[in-house]
Amino acid sequence: MFSFVIRRLAVAIPTLLVLVIISFILMYAAPGGPFNSERPLPPEVLANIEAKYGLDQPFWAQIANYVWGVVTSFDFGPSFQYKDRSVNDIIAQGFPVTLTYGFWSFVVAVTVGVSLGVAAAIRQNSWLDYLAVGISVGAQVLPNFVMAPILVLTFTLWLGWLPGGGWNGGQWQNLVMPVIALSTSYMASIARITRSSMLEVLNTNFIRTARAKGLPMRRVIWRHAMKPAMLPVLSYLGPAFVGMITGSVVIDVFFSTGGIGQFFVNSAFNRDYSVIMGITILVGALTIFFNLVVDVLYAWIDPKIRY
Amino acid sequence: MFPNRAAVEGVGDAAQLAEIKGRSLWADARTRFFRNKAAVVSLIMLGLIGAFALFGQFFAQYDKGFVDFSLIGSNANKGVPSIENGHYFGTDSNGRDLYARVVQGTGISLMVGIVGAMVAVIVGTLYGATAGYFGGRIDGAMMRIVDVLMSIPFMFVLILMLVIFGRSIFMLFLGIGLISWLDMARIARGQTLTIKNKEFVEVAVATGVRPIKIILRHIVPNLLGIVIVYATLLVPSMIIFESFISFLGLGVQEPNTSLGALINEGARTMQFGYYWQIAYPLFFFVVTIFAFFFVGDGLRDALDPKDR
Repeated sequence: MFSFVIRRLAVAIPTLLVLVIISFILMYAAPGGPFNSERPLPPEVLANIEAKYGLDQPFWAQIANYVWGVVTSFDFGPSFQYKDRSVNDIIAQGFPVTLTYGFWSFVVAVTVGVSLGVAAAIRQNSWLDYLAVGISVGAQVLPNFVMAPILVLTFTLWLGWLPGGGWNGGQWQNLVMPVIALSTSYMASIARITRSSMLEVLNTNFIRTARAKGLPMRRVIWRHAMKPAMLPVLSYLGPAFVGMITGSVVIDVFFSTGGIGQFFVNSAFNRDYSVIMGITILVGALTIFFNLVVDVLYAWIDPKIRY
Repeated sequence: MFPNRAAVEGVGDAAQLAEIKGRSLWADARTRFFRNKAAVVSLIMLGLIGAFALFGQFFAQYDKGFVDFSLIGSNANKGVPSIENGHYFGTDSNGRDLYARVVQGTGISLMVGIVGAMVAVIVGTLYGATAGYFGGRIDGAMMRIVDVLMSIPFMFVLILMLVIFGRSIFMLFLGIGLISWLDMARIARGQTLTIKNKEFVEVAVATGVRPIKIILRHIVPNLLGIVIVYATLLVPSMIIFESFISFLGLGVQEPNTSLGALINEGARTMQFGYYWQIAYPLFFFVVTIFAFFFVGDGLRDALDPKDR
């Protein structure tokens, strides 16, 4: 087990480095520096500013500095746009928000999705099954940027129950719509995967044995069927995580929740490269770490996997 | 997703009929596909949407770039959808004909989806087939690259690229092409691993056919079924992908538009009561995605009945 984790880490760390280097090269290749504006600065001023940000150094020195800063102290450098703040300040401000509703979206997607899928599988071909399948088919075509306007139309403009945006320190009223919008399509996928894998597991011999022994259905499901049935769901959690973290950009922009997504898009419009890079690398690191955790969990749960 | 009774019956019928006269796999698949009502209806819907995107412009009363100045300032009461003034879907907040814009947006969204799927099919299939055919070290290295690329959140990298190299349709295509082939490569590789040990490949190897020719002539045609299924399922996810970026305002730029960009515009003005500005793009988006998913599902049942 230990060597498996080490081996996975040995792949994860180069991946992250590749991401850092690719984004740095992309940024370096950008035509026009971050300080080229409509009204050109006097060359002396420009030279001063570029020296301050280390942009006058050769390519290798710049990339080495950047990678070194990121690796040793998680220092993503100063923001080019917000002169008073570093990228780290911006991340520190936005990331807790993203993490909060991201966490709840994940919890909702998994719990609702799994319960819906299991319920549909146990009562196959009943009205409950059709309802669950119907919901998951319908929700499949409702990605976050479609859900968000629909929710606002319904709950803010029509019913007037919930505020249409803002964060307000994470009050539940402000959390409801971002969480629903972000989790719906993943909830649907998880429900579908759970249903089909649960149906498959329920038809296996060991479940028949367990039921023949006279175990109550509840116990059969929880003790015997749940673990193998969760394996496909577990392997879907990696892509779902990536999707949600990407979706958070839409949530931040649409609901003005003030997470990192909002800074990301603003920086994209302002050509504030260091912020974009910092967030890209942070998200990449999170993704790689999460995939690692999922892989390890998978290996731990599935006895068929040799590591 | 659907009761596969139709598919099962199809197999049974095919087995009976096979005794009478031979039928190709493709004919079988066609029969099975046309038994699936949801898929057939979706196929018709897709045809209609395609026709709408291609020929809808001829029925528009206004050019897509024409700004109807007579409506400026009173969008809420004069810009509503009406047959009389020729704005079938109303106007957008700039006074342009929304019908013409939706036609344009649907066309661009479909184009992005189909191009993305085509890149995936060509690059992904060849890459996966090559990796699977050669196996061993080459396979390990090639698939490790795919693994590494897959664990990168590409949306962020793509936005980085769009910012750096300018927001253009070309960059969007490039970015979508970069991402879309990864899944396809995995699928193609998995299939190739089972195909390459079949007798006809062994014969080809034994008679000294070059590897490139074996891959192109003997392996790729046998991947076609599963590739078509995944390509159909890939089109809607590419459309969603593009709409996502356009929704953020980073994708397709004015005067071009896509369904995502139109949904974004509509979402901005819906609080003023201009519901039609979001309703029409949203309707076309949802119907298109739905139809593609159902057609893909039907194709999967038809071409790959054991994979359920």
